[in-house]
Amino acid sequence: MPGRESRGMRDLSVLLLIVATITVLLVFGGVAEVVIISLLLAYIFDPLATALERSGLSRTLATVVIFLAFVTVIVLASTFLIPVLLEQVQALQSGSASEQATQSIVKLQAILHEKLAPLGFEDFNLMQMIQDFKVYIGQKAVDFLLQDSVALVVRLVMIPFIMFFLLKEGREMKKELIGLIPNRYFEFSLDLLYKMDLQLGNYLRGQFIDAVVFGALATLALWVLGVKYFLFIGIFAGLANLIPFVGPIAGMLLGALVAVLDTGDVMRGIWVAVAFIALKLVDDFVVQPLAVGKSVDLHPMLVALAILTGGHLFGILGMLLAVPVAGFLKVVLMESIVTYRKYRFT
Amino acid sequence: MTTPWARAFGYRTQKDKSGNEIEAILTKIPIFEELSKRELSEIERILHRRDYEDGESIFRQDEPALGMYIIQSGEVAIVLEPSGIQVSELHDGDFFGEVGLLDESPRSATARAKTHCRVFGFFQPDLFGLIERDPRLGVKIVLRVARIIGARLRKTNEQARALSEELQKLKRPARTGSRQG
Repeated sequence: MPGRESRGMRDLSVLLLIVATITVLLVFGGVAEVVIISLLLAYIFDPLATALERSGLSRTLATVVIFLAFVTVIVLASTFLIPVLLEQVQALQSGSASEQATQSIVKLQAILHEKLAPLGFEDFNLMQMIQDFKVYIGQKAVDFLLQDSVALVVRLVMIPFIMFFLLKEGREMKKELIGLIPNRYFEFSLDLLYKMDLQLGNYLRGQFIDAVVFGALATLALWVLGVKYFLFIGIFAGLANLIPFVGPIAGMLLGALVAVLDTGDVMRGIWVAVAFIALKLVDDFVVQPLAVGKSVDLHPMLVALAILTGGHLFGILGMLLAVPVAGFLKVVLMESIVTYRKYRFT
Repeated sequence: MTTPWARAFGYRTQKDKSGNEIEAILTKIPIFEELSKRELSEIERILHRRDYEDGESIFRQDEPALGMYIIQSGEVAIVLEPSGIQVSELHDGDFFGEVGLLDESPRSATARAKTHCRVFGFFQPDLFGLIERDPRLGVKIVLRVARIIGARLRKTNEQARALSEELQKLKRPARTGSRQG
């Protein structure tokens, strides 16, 4: 049984790990971001490299094949998707609401003014608010895609580059790292590293598959419902779905808002909302249990704190990476504690 | 000197000398004796080289078993705890802990270095990774390990039978002796 001293040590190491992670993220913000994304991609593509090895390719060749496929996808996406996306974003930003939409908004505003005046709604300008929100969303997206284009290009080059080496030499790197551990802690560290690797790989790949499936389904649903900018909203919904609670609602609101403003038909917005609720149910009960499983169950409060911290440190990208990073830290801590108990260190 | 590009694509200008030594040791181990040169170098890549000082534990009784060790040089004692009884002494080229390749249950004894030792660790997670990447090679190894453990079980059964016959013999004269008395 672990004594009071070892429990104290454990608490201290947990605290140190959290402080060290936050310090590294703060000090090496930009670098950490690139490394984290490369690491996530390497984890996601590792089984693919293993499958290629099984078919007779060497690890190097398997990595080259994945690397080329990945770069091709990026180039194709930049050539075909990004101009369409930019066009949709700019149209979303500048496009004024249709005649019917303006009428329904004016009607809604009149009702609000009349019925809710005692609650302080007499100065409430719904039209302006919607316009501001659209401009804000559009501006954020344009900022993300256009500004800092040098940094974006550097990332687009550096990420596949680092991913290549992590994918190709990850096993050797792990072996070298474990080679530095003192004899007494060698088997323990090896055991821990492998278990963490397994759990993390499953978790991160699950998250990735879930985001892709949800994004594709959302895009399809929006296209079927004839919503404008379906590609942009679908991709946004897929990515946003990585952020629990807030993400799916943000995707749904954006889709419904665009549908209403574009056609002036409130029913269209309701249909979009219904489609998103149905998709979320399919996601929760079919896709997630199959793809993610229950291996890394994060407490809702922890998720909320992680998203806030991620958003504070790195903005939107930080919010997206917050949950996988929190999942990573949880796996590291839980596996450390479980494995530590099996060894006679005291 | 290897250029960065040669390094990136894993090109080796000359074969590592220690690599040849490891292959020579591996071919003497029953688990690896039938493997080709390519397969041996695949195994060599996943082995962990460790050095232990005199008296240092390689693994301890009751801790989870993770895999087997092959002695390159030195002497290792297999000791039962807490009695400290030494059940076996192993030397260069011997191997131990192979049950750990198939089963994660606790170690049944402690392995302790009796001199300065250099050993190679071959662990279960690496074997599982190998099975995923190269199932033919993985199955060959698992089959060899199973045969070795099977042979040991047969030997243990024979010893158990011999002991039980011995016990019967000892009981019989005692019983006749008590009737006479």
